Amino acid sequence: MFRINCILRALLLVLLIGFLFTCIAFGHAAPPPTPDADSLLKRSDSYRNGWPSYVLRVKITNYESDKPDEERLYDVSQKGVEKTYVEFMSPRDKGRHMLMLGDDMWIYLPDTSRPVRITPLERLSGDASSGDVARTNYAADYAPVYLRTEKAGQEECYVLELTAKRKGSTYQRVLYWLRAADARPVRAEFYLTSGKHIKSATFDEYAAVNGKSQLRRMTLYDEIRHNSHSVLEYSNIAPRELPDKLFYQGRTERF
Amino acid sequence: MNYTTQLAVLLLLALPMPAGAQDATPPAPRREFRSSLSVIEDATIYSNLRVPVPSAFNQLLVEPSVGLRYRHRLTLSTSLAGIVGTHSETHVQGRVKEAYAGLSAGDFDFTLGRRMVRWGVGYAFTAAGVLDPPRVPTNPTDRLNLNQGRDMIKGDYVRGPHALSLAWSSAVLAPARSPLRDTTAFRYNFLVRGFDTSLIAGDDRGGDAFGALTFTRVLGQSWEIHGEAAWREQGALLAGAKCTTRSGVTFIAEFYTPPNTPYFRDSAALPIAGRQRFFFFDVGKNRLRELPGWKEWDVSGYLVANLNDLSYTAILDTNRRFGNRFSAYLHLEIPRGGRTSGYGAAPYSTATSAGIRFQL
Repeated sequence: MFRINCILRALLLVLLIGFLFTCIAFGHAAPPPTPDADSLLKRSDSYRNGWPSYVLRVKITNYESDKPDEERLYDVSQKGVEKTYVEFMSPRDKGRHMLMLGDDMWIYLPDTSRPVRITPLERLSGDASSGDVARTNYAADYAPVYLRTEKAGQEECYVLELTAKRKGSTYQRVLYWLRAADARPVRAEFYLTSGKHIKSATFDEYAAVNGKSQLRRMTLYDEIRHNSHSVLEYSNIAPRELPDKLFYQGRTERF
Repeated sequence: MNYTTQLAVLLLLALPMPAGAQDATPPAPRREFRSSLSVIEDATIYSNLRVPVPSAFNQLLVEPSVGLRYRHRLTLSTSLAGIVGTHSETHVQGRVKEAYAGLSAGDFDFTLGRRMVRWGVGYAFTAAGVLDPPRVPTNPTDRLNLNQGRDMIKGDYVRGPHALSLAWSSAVLAPARSPLRDTTAFRYNFLVRGFDTSLIAGDDRGGDAFGALTFTRVLGQSWEIHGEAAWREQGALLAGAKCTTRSGVTFIAEFYTPPNTPYFRDSAALPIAGRQRFFFFDVGKNRLRELPGWKEWDVSGYLVANLNDLSYTAILDTNRRFGNRFSAYLHLEIPRGGRTSGYGAAPYSTATSAGIRFQL
């Protein structure tokens, strides 16, 4: 009887220790579920592309040493992820417009009276480049990989690494911080093919438009000339039926 | 805006808005209006003039443009230029650069009036631009915006990346002694695999029939290539490329060989000179952001050469912006070559233009 009790106690002890080990081992090894980078990126795009077809106005104010020195206005029409038409509204640029069809991009300059093809590298010129205005569907342009979860300011964020997957992508690599709660963009770092960190962005303000939260203001910081930054303010955001003709590459109309 | 959209907008407006930032959706405008005004004060000084004319030329140009669109259907657009020129005496000139009405119906667009059309894809030259304003290789961007359109009736059918255009252009209002004729022209423009390609055919009344092919294509991150091949009595060929470096410097090169026929002949070329060969090379950079204090500067230099007689014109352009509305520029032309050569025949050794531009 005593022997049986000893055996049972020993067995119980082994089971208990085994149970504790199992709890400790599984408790430590079970990683938190990895977020799906693709669906996160698609969800984050909806904060800048709320509808399949829409219009908005972008005001870009460039700052040098924290003083505003230049202001530009653009009317943007977007249809799907492949078609963007940008009309330049500033006095200096009046009459110009830009068209993006997938990887192809044209700029219409009134002084040449014809659409001029522009190369991906030409899109990078300027404080806020034409690519920053016209290419906001990152899910179409970049392949995302989840890197880590960390705090950006007060926000718990997922950090994604985006790598260009098509010729038309504005940047080769982007580090993208998305708020963990709702995949809202918080900040980004943009890199060239050479690995050079060229710009950083903070996504500063959102507002509800037609019941959807949409980006209202972002700031682009020049990482090469550190005293320079640009503020992009988005307004007049509205879903709109847009005719395919608007996105014809030979378009030369003033409208 | 259709009934459903109006109802949706009304319903959305009736919904209680949450506190904080909330944008109301602006309705699609029924009427859209665009206007611009450009005023240019341009002064040119010629050095070592070989003809007895004053060495200074001053121009004041006032260039208003107005466009009106109604319900995405009807468009009215006009672009004018008033020029007050002072050389040996003062003269005033008015130009209608564009004045046209456009009607859009489904996939069709119709245009009636004077309209600037550019079917050629070259920067400095064109063989295929049968309705284009004349290309001046020493002034490829028409820096004073003085080009005028052609008077025409044009119909376009646009579907996706395909467009068919048929135009009839009248020469009735062309200036006296102008070589322009009534022209009927057809173009099929399409985008396939990154090639923006056009096939052009047409006929000049009392002149020649013609045909042409144009294309542009972007290669990789930094290259663009373009070309034109045209046949009008004889063949003409244009081949060009543009390259942008990572620092934002852009190079453009073009080779152009037109036949020495009346249509293609340069005014300085002799009829016996045979087929011509031209070369254009441009290097420029917009916004010299890398240099402290030079962000507002654009600089470009280019060279146009006649490879037959080895004459050339070298050109330097600089532009400096002041705020959002003002800019100043300097344009320097240096022609070189024999007195009877294409570019050496210019009656001056340098022409320096400086000006101020205001844009509203």
